[in-house]
Formats: sequence, structure tokens, C-alpha cells
Amino acid sequence: MSPAPSVPRASSAHPVSAHRAGATTGAVVRAGLFAALLALPVLAATAWVVGFAVLETVAGETPLSRGTPHNIAEAAGMTDAGEFLRLRAQGQDPNWIYDIRPEVISSQVLRVNALEAAVWSRQIALVELVDREGLIPDAATRRELACLAEDIGAADIAHRLAPEPADTPCDPGQAMARVFARNPPDPD
Amino acid sequence: MTPVPDRRWALAAWAYGLLVATGMAYYLVDVPIQLSDSFGNIIKASDGTLGSLVYNEFFQRGYLRPFLWGHLRVVLDVAGGDLTAWFRWWHAGQLLALVVMYLALFRPRTATDAAVTPIGLAMLVGLHTFHGTVREAFPINTFMTILLCCFGAMLVVEGRWRWWKDLLALLLFVFATLTVESGLLVWVVLAAAFLAGARGVSKPAQALLLGLFVGYFYLRFSALEVGAPGLIERSSGFGFGSKDPEELIALFGGNPLGFYAYNVVTSALSVLFSEPRGGVWDLTRDVVVGEVRPYGVVNLVASTLATGAIAAFAWTRRRVWLARRFEPDDRLVFVFIGVLAANAVISYPYTKDVVMSPAGIFFALAAAVSLRQLAGSLPGLGTRGVVLAACCVALLSGTWAVRAVGAHLGLRTAAVKMRNEWAYVDAWMAGAGQPNWDDRARTLRDRLQRDAILSRPARTFVVGDWTTWFDHE
Repeated sequence: MSPAPSVPRASSAHPVSAHRAGATTGAVVRAGLFAALLALPVLAATAWVVGFAVLETVAGETPLSRGTPHNIAEAAGMTDAGEFLRLRAQGQDPNWIYDIRPEVISSQVLRVNALEAAVWSRQIALVELVDREGLIPDAATRRELACLAEDIGAADIAHRLAPEPADTPCDPGQAMARVFARNPPDPD
Repeated sequence: MTPVPDRRWALAAWAYGLLVATGMAYYLVDVPIQLSDSFGNIIKASDGTLGSLVYNEFFQRGYLRPFLWGHLRVVLDVAGGDLTAWFRWWHAGQLLALVVMYLALFRPRTATDAAVTPIGLAMLVGLHTFHGTVREAFPINTFMTILLCCFGAMLVVEGRWRWWKDLLALLLFVFATLTVESGLLVWVVLAAAFLAGARGVSKPAQALLLGLFVGYFYLRFSALEVGAPGLIERSSGFGFGSKDPEELIALFGGNPLGFYAYNVVTSALSVLFSEPRGGVWDLTRDVVVGEVRPYGVVNLVASTLATGAIAAFAWTRRRVWLARRFEPDDRLVFVFIGVLAANAVISYPYTKDVVMSPAGIFFALAAAVSLRQLAGSLPGLGTRGVVLAACCVALLSGTWAVRAVGAHLGLRTAAVKMRNEWAYVDAWMAGAGQPNWDDRARTLRDRLQRDAILSRPARTFVVGDWTTWFDHE
């Protein structure tokens, strides 16, 4: 290993000269202030980082995040494709209607299935994943999802789900209204 | 403050280093093996024998990286079926080794050293050039391997000569150089340290290293005719944005010297000031359009102050340097300057943050030794000087604290993104230009997807306006 440094570090030289000048206390205070200013912000950052990790491990949730999706519909609505697949592998049904939190899609969308949530995420890659996994059970569901995509203005998803024009066109706004109608009644 | 070496302060600094490495490892092992840059590499590395894999890499076109593949294959063989755990913990182990080497070079002994250690380590992991060494893996991060070789070379060349140091220096050079092109910087470290008076490696060994350095170019360009990647192979940052290969050819095709000079200069500036990044003047553009992202300002202020500390150190030590009476701290700053210049030069065809990571780690070391030197001059200042210095130090430390947090948030962001990649693995495989993946590939896909997605609940992005202060994307 390297030999002891012989760079004349002023930290070891100056307090001596300060002492000779009768200013030892001031020099030590200044050096201490400097050390505190230098170290404390970074030490606080390290404490934050370690605290974040400990909180995450203990609570099982990432602090300062939107939180882990509570069900497969939330996973789709949050465009968390990985969690979508994991929850599906655990047995959650993507066609089942789940309660979702207002912050996932909107305060008007509180009860959806994962397929509708995927459309609402506006992520065509996620909708393609849903389709590729064979999760759209029948033509009627596909058409309903395509109409929902039209209602929310996601033309690319609507086209992906129904590339050919349907015999009967979508009734504008109705697919979305059917989702809204599932919301629990407003207590007010 | 205790001005003399004290074992307690040294222990405190080392304990803190261990805490930093452990904390970062927590975030690091959470990042899955990535799909796009790792899957094909694992498939390729598992073909044939280790010997045939390494041998064949001597005859590729454009790249000469046989030990990159050898390293990957060795870990692959050791890992057996537990690829994710082995590769992720290997990465964490490399990070720990880097922190240990950093502290061994910094040599914390006094209270001042202990006070500087946190900001030094924040510079090590918080500088943007470091991000690519931990946020990605292929599935072994080659750039991190080179950082270890560079610090290893610096440790070898310091101190007294030993015969095994000669051997180790030669092995480090050969291994690093045949791992990736930036491994040539190991020679720069050894040569610069030698010029600055380090004699841990003997003169004959230094001469042999010089011969190997020259021989590398003969091997690459004449004997093996590997050549170098051309201008047309990838996009590159220029001005306020990224240019496609076609745009670069349109701009510089006839005479790319201007483009090469741009890359060299901007690569060096990037380490010193965090602007530009990858050849792109992001912060300047943001200022021009009036949409400044806070983290850009944080990065600029942090790096500029640290660069100022290094410049002040070099200025105060200029007479010692001119008299060639270098001490270990002088050597670290001198080697940083050499590595910065050489690293910028080898970035001539293509500038990218992570390519400058060797210069980045020496920047962190040089800034730390400069700070501990400058710390000593504080008691000699007048009141105004103390206030000004205190403001600068507070700003320096505060901004690097933000960057250190950003480095960790960046790992979390990378983990979420890479996990999501695995959800779309089938689409990726279909579009990867290889229509017929065999059973081995499909088995590997299933195993890695299970590790990335199915084995545990997701981590999620941190959200909020406050995140704009952190460079985590």
C-alpha cells in the first residue's frame, strides 16, 4: 500500500500556527464548522437513502410512490405490465370487475376490469400484451373495448382492437358511460 | 478537529464507506437482468467452450473484446441455474470493491479526511458518468470492470516496488485492454503515475507496458484487422440534440475531424462541468427555451465547484509539481488530468456519459484530496474569506448530496423499467431480428422473466414534483 502521505496538509499545520497566535479556539471552531458543512448534507442524504430502504423493506411499499397496484386492474391502469403478469399468474382474473383507487385512472373510474384499465392506460403495447396473451374472451368484449378506446380518444388502440369497421358502429360515449355507471352511488 | 492521524477517524471513514456500498447494493440487486442488452449476450456466451468463445472474439470486426466474453462466461458457468442472483450480486460485489479501492487510495486518517469522505463517495456514485456503470448490465457491466482495473492499477503503482506488482500491472493491462477499448486507460494510469514519481511498478515493467500498449494497436489494426467502429454505426449527441448516423454523415461525412474534435472537447467538459452530457448541451438548451430542469442546475453547480477545488489545489501545488516532488495526493490529481485527457481522446468517435466513467472516478478522488488540502487553509482566512468559503462548501456539499440521492433513485427507476421490459419479452424476441429462437433461448426467457417479474411484487417509481431535482431518469 502507499506510504504515509507527506503532503503538508494544512489541517495539521495551521492549528499549530493559530495556537502560536493565540487563536487556537477560533481555528478549531472554524475547522469544525467547515467539517460540519462539508459532511452533514451528504450524511443526511445517506440517512435518507438508508431510511428509504429500511422503510420499503419493513412496510413492503415504496415510500413516496403511487404504491403497489392492489389488483390486476390497478396494475393495468398504472401501466405496470410486470405486475399485471405477476398478478395474473397468481390467479387474478383480468375480466373480473375490481375496485380501483381514484388516483389510478380518474375519480370517475372506480370499478373496471383489467382489460378496460389497459385501454384507459392508453398504452398500446399493454393492450397488445393483453391481446397476445389471449385475455380478450370474445368478439363482443373486443368490440366493447374498441368502443371504449374510441370514447377516450385512443384511436390507435381502437384500430388495434378492431382493424376492420364493425357492422354497427360504436354509440359514442356509451362504452365509457357503462363503466361510469358501475361506480358506487355518491353518498351526497 | 483532531489534526493528526487517528485510528478512530480512519475506522469511521471505512465504516461509512461500507454503509454507502451496502445501501447502494440494496438498490442495485433490485434491478433485474436487463432484456435488451443481456439476453442475446447470455445466449452467445453460453455457446461452445470458454476457450473457443474467447478465441473467436479475436477475429471480430470493429471490436476486440475477448475477455468481456470470457468474464461473462466464467460467471455464467459458476452461476449454474441461478443467473439473476449471481449476476446481480456480482455487480454489487464489484461496487463494494470499487468503494474499498477508493478509500484505499484516499487514505482517510484524520478528522478532516473523515469529514471529506462522505462528499468524496457522493462524488464517486453521484457523478453522471457513474450512472451507466450501475443502472445497466450486459449482464456484467464492462465499464465497472474497467473502473476496478483503473483503481487497481493506481493501487499497484503506488508504494514500494514488489515483483508481483510488475506482474499484476501487466495482467491488469492485458485483461482490461482486451475487455473493452477504454481498458487502454489502465496504461494511462500507470504511465501518468510513473511520470508523477510512483515507483510501485519497475521501469522495465513500465517499458514492457509501453510496448504492449503500442502492440495493441498493431494487433488490432494490422495483425487481426479488427478495425474500429465507423461513423455510421450509431447515433451521437451534437449541439442541442442527438443526430442519426445519416445526419452525421451529411454533416461530417467528408471530413469527420470536426466531429471527432467536438466529441473530445465535450467529453472532457462533461466530466468537469456536467454539461454537455453525451455531446448534448441539455442545460443550455433548457435555458434557451426557458424550461430549466432543476437537476441540471444542481449538476452544473456541483461539478463546477468540485472542479474549482481541483484547480485551486493544482494552483497551490504548482511549484511542487514543477519541481517534480509529487506526493500521493498530487499524483492522484495529476493522474486524473492524464486520464481525463486520454479518456476524452478515446471518446473521439462516440461520446457517452458512461464511456467517461474512468475519468469520473478519478475526478471524485482528485476533488476529495483537493478538499482535504483546502480544508486546512480555512483557519488562516479572514472573516469574509471564511464566510465565502463556508457558503461554497455548503453549496458544494448540498448539491452533491442531491446527486447522491439521485443516483439511488436512478437505480429504482432502472429497476422498474427493466422489470417492465420482461413483460414484453415475446414482442422483443419477435422483433429482435432472429425469427427462430431455440428451446434453450425459450427456457432462458422463462427463467429470467420469472426472476424479474413473477418471483416478487413490483417496486414502483417515486413520484412528485420534488423528483425533478434529481437526475434519475
